[in-house]
Amino acid sequence: MEHNDVGNEKEMAEFERKLRIAMQHRAAPVGMKQRVMARARERRQVRHGRGWMLQRIAASALLAAVFGGVAVYHQVQERAEERRKGEEAREQVMTAFRITQKTLDRVQERLDDDSRVKFQIYNR
Amino acid sequence: MRELLSWQDKTSWRPDFEQLVEEHQSMVFSLAWRMTGDRGLAEELAQDVLLELDRNLRKLSSAEHARFWLRQVTLHRVADALRRRRTNAASLGADLWEELEERHVLVEPFGLEDESPLGRRIEELLATLPEGQRAALVLRYQEDLTPEEIAVTLKSPLATVKSQLQRGLKLLRLRASQSLKEYVRGA
Repeated sequence: MEHNDVGNEKEMAEFERKLRIAMQHRAAPVGMKQRVMARARERRQVRHGRGWMLQRIAASALLAAVFGGVAVYHQVQERAEERRKGEEAREQVMTAFRITQKTLDRVQERLDDDSRVKFQIYNR
Repeated sequence: MRELLSWQDKTSWRPDFEQLVEEHQSMVFSLAWRMTGDRGLAEELAQDVLLELDRNLRKLSSAEHARFWLRQVTLHRVADALRRRRTNAASLGADLWEELEERHVLVEPFGLEDESPLGRRIEELLATLPEGQRAALVLRYQEDLTPEEIAVTLKSPLATVKSQLQRGLKLLRLRASQSLKEYVRGA
C-alpha cells in the first residue's frame, strides 16, 4: 500500500515536471506587437483629435462668454449713464422750480407791500 | 503576499508601453490561449488586454504591479469571452458549436517539432478541464505562482485554490494519459 503511494507520488511529481516544461510561454503570433502598437497609435490619435476638438469647443465657449460679458457690461454701463443723466436733468428741473418759486414769492411780497402802502394812504 | 502588495510603495516607475508589450506579449497570449483553447480568440484577447494596459499605464506603479495587473485582466477578459461563447453555443445548438470547435482545434499548430506530446497538446487538454481548475493550473505551472499568489490573483480563498490545483492536476493527468495513448495509437 505504502509502496503504491510512493509510486503515485513519484509519478505525479514526474507529471508536474513534464507539465512545467510543456507550459513554457508560447511565442506570441508574428506581428502581434506591431498590430498592438499600431492600434495604440490610432487610439491616441483619435483621442488627440477628440482632445483638440474639445479644446476648440472650450475656447469658443470661453470667447462667447467673454464677448457676452463685455456686451452685458456695456449695456449695464449705458443704463447707469442714462439713469445718472436722468437724475441730473431732474435735479436741474427741481432747481429751476425752486428759483421760480423764490421769484414768485418775491413778486408776491412786493405786491403785498404795495397794497399795504395804498391802503395806508387811502385811510389817511 | 507582502511581496505581491509591495508595489504600492514604489512611485518612481517610468513605464514604456512598447517595452512592456515586448516583455509580456507571450505571457498574455499563452494565458489566453491555454484558458480558451482557441488560438485566434487568444490573439484577439491578448491585443485587447495590451491596449487596455496602454489606457491604464498611469495607474500602475511598478513592473510587478503591471505583471499582476496583466494576469488579472487577461483572466477577466477570458472569463467574459468564455461566457459569450457559452451563450452563443446555447443559441446555435451545442452540437454545432462542438463540431466547429473540434475542427478549429484540429487545424491549430501545436508548436515546435521537438516538443513533447504533452507540450504539443497541452492547450487542447487544458480546454477539457473546468474553468477554475484550468486557471489555477495555468497560473501554477505556466506562471510559476504559489497557491497564495494564485488566490490573490483569482480573488479566491486559498483552500479553494489548493483544491482546484489538486483536482485539476489529477484530471489533467488522467486526460493526458487517455488522450496521449490515443495520439500514439493514431500515429
